[in-house]
Amino acid sequence: MRLLLVEDDAMIGESVRTGLQQDGFAVDWVQDGRAAELALQTNSYDTLLLDLGLPRKAGLEVLGALRRRGDAIPVLILTARDAVADRVKGLDAGADDYLVKPFDLEELAARVRALLRRKSGRADPMVQVGGLVINPATHEVSLAGKPVALSAREFALMHALAARPGVVYSRAQLEEKLYGWGQEVESNTVEVYVHSLRRKLGAHFIQNVRGVGYMVPKQT
Amino acid sequence: MNSIRRQLLLWLLTGLALAVAAAGARIYTQTLDEANELFDYHLRQMAASLPNDSFGPLPPSSTSEFEAEEGLVVQIWDRNGLELYFSRPASKLPQRAELGFSTVKTPHGNWRVYSALEQNNVVQVAQAMSVRQDLAAGMALRALVPLLALLPVLAIFIWLTIGRGLQPLDRIAKALGRRTPDSLDALPQDQLPLEIRPLVQALNELLARLARALESQKAFVADAAHELRTPLTAVQLQIQLAERAQTGDERAAAFANLKQGQARAAHLVQQLLTLARQEPSVAAQPHTPIDLAELARLVVSEFAPLAADRNIDLGLSHTAPARIAGDFEALRVMLGNLVDNAIRYTPAGGRVDVALRLQDKHAIVEVSDTGAGIPEADRARVFDRFYRREATQASGSGLGLAIVRNIADRHRASIRLEDRAPGPGLRVSLTFALG
Repeated sequence: MRLLLVEDDAMIGESVRTGLQQDGFAVDWVQDGRAAELALQTNSYDTLLLDLGLPRKAGLEVLGALRRRGDAIPVLILTARDAVADRVKGLDAGADDYLVKPFDLEELAARVRALLRRKSGRADPMVQVGGLVINPATHEVSLAGKPVALSAREFALMHALAARPGVVYSRAQLEEKLYGWGQEVESNTVEVYVHSLRRKLGAHFIQNVRGVGYMVPKQT
Repeated sequence: MNSIRRQLLLWLLTGLALAVAAAGARIYTQTLDEANELFDYHLRQMAASLPNDSFGPLPPSSTSEFEAEEGLVVQIWDRNGLELYFSRPASKLPQRAELGFSTVKTPHGNWRVYSALEQNNVVQVAQAMSVRQDLAAGMALRALVPLLALLPVLAIFIWLTIGRGLQPLDRIAKALGRRTPDSLDALPQDQLPLEIRPLVQALNELLARLARALESQKAFVADAAHELRTPLTAVQLQIQLAERAQTGDERAAAFANLKQGQARAAHLVQQLLTLARQEPSVAAQPHTPIDLAELARLVVSEFAPLAADRNIDLGLSHTAPARIAGDFEALRVMLGNLVDNAIRYTPAGGRVDVALRLQDKHAIVEVSDTGAGIPEADRARVFDRFYRREATQASGSGLGLAIVRNIADRHRASIRLEDRAPGPGLRVSLTFALG
């Protein structure tokens, strides 16, 4: 899952990016409102983490423009403004959630997962496909009740595909979900991870749609 | 106890009593003068009307009522000194040949004596002075008694009037006493006596100043609390990352970040404290004579290690003898902040100069750097608390220049920001008046 983090403070931005990467998210980080708009227009993100007090363009303006364009990307506001009036304003401007600084990394990751879950129309925090159960919070994966050990990248790939069964992702789209800016993408990397996932889970879980990409078939 | 009411009452009554006493004394002397004139005439008349031919001893009883009324004594003797008549043998007057009026001292007090030569006899008519004095005193007393009786009534009247006049003060005191620390609105000024109005006006001005100071303090605390969240958030996140670290290298990197975050929070707190101490409302340190050149040398040497660390050439480029009166610690903080800023915002390999010049009875302290400078549009706002210009990489507290301005204001120094010549770079000049 790829997130855009907009935070002007270098220390906070650095820490949030590192923490979320450790949780298996791909994170792009920009430090002002204009850069955020540019990034939103050129890349596709699963969630936007938005600070309000931004240089060059205020967070609420970025959010307003985003919603006017009809972009439904889940938005989580991260801010030091804790007055009720500020929260109401943020949520009414189109944010999906509001987190006041100082916040906890675990809570931030949990809220991001909740947003992603809602976006994909699921209420159950567990992603289940066939006999495969994926817990996005703990990164635990089990197949027919038996735990399966996956690397962080393998997990991210499996999670992305299993979250929306029946949807075909291109190799480029999957790469985007695995890597943030500045992270070196090795060639054939998606193929390598698909190969090892098939080895661990069985060949039928991930199907290759020739010339288009990969998908997890819908279970009937 | 010092009470306006009591003092007024005391002085007014004292004045009144003195006036009454003076009036009494005046009535007494005037009446006495008139009585003297009248009785002297009476004495002469009496002497003239006495039968001058045959004198024989009269029985004392015949003159008793005469005596009792006006205290008169009559005695007659012939030219040989032979006593012919005494109206009151008990109180004999000295035999004196002095004719006309005279005052005689006797064991019974002073007597007024009129002596006249009637044919061959000397006739003396005398009257005790005490009679006249008693008369005058009686007159004076009769005039004063009503006035004296009026004094207590006047005292009560004065007491009540002063009390009424001072009532507005009491009302103001009660109104102030009921106030909470937050209610600093003005006291009503209409319908106040002329004498109390200036006091209430001064109080209202003080209240207004207090309200402004309180307002700015509240804003400052709110700003400070808000600003503290940022470094605290960073520290909290850095702690969590340190906890998560798997390998020794990761942990070392996380702790290095944590240290930076902590240093930044501590720096912000330090700057907040400095700013709070330099607020104009806080009692300032006494001003002492200060050698600006010495101050500049001290600050430059203080920041030399930091400059060397960042590969910046920091130095004192020009100096002059200049002494001003000021708060040494505050001025050191001020110049230190300017030099610190210059070092922070100048890229490695750059140069920071501190200079001290004299110009028309002014001492000018300049700090110039070879950083990016500050665009004209931003120059007024950089002195605001917590204002950080966008896209600055250096993580300052946003308070440095606010502190500089507070200290400069307290020393009546003016600050100017301009482009360094030759550019690029910033030059900050502080101008102090000399003498």
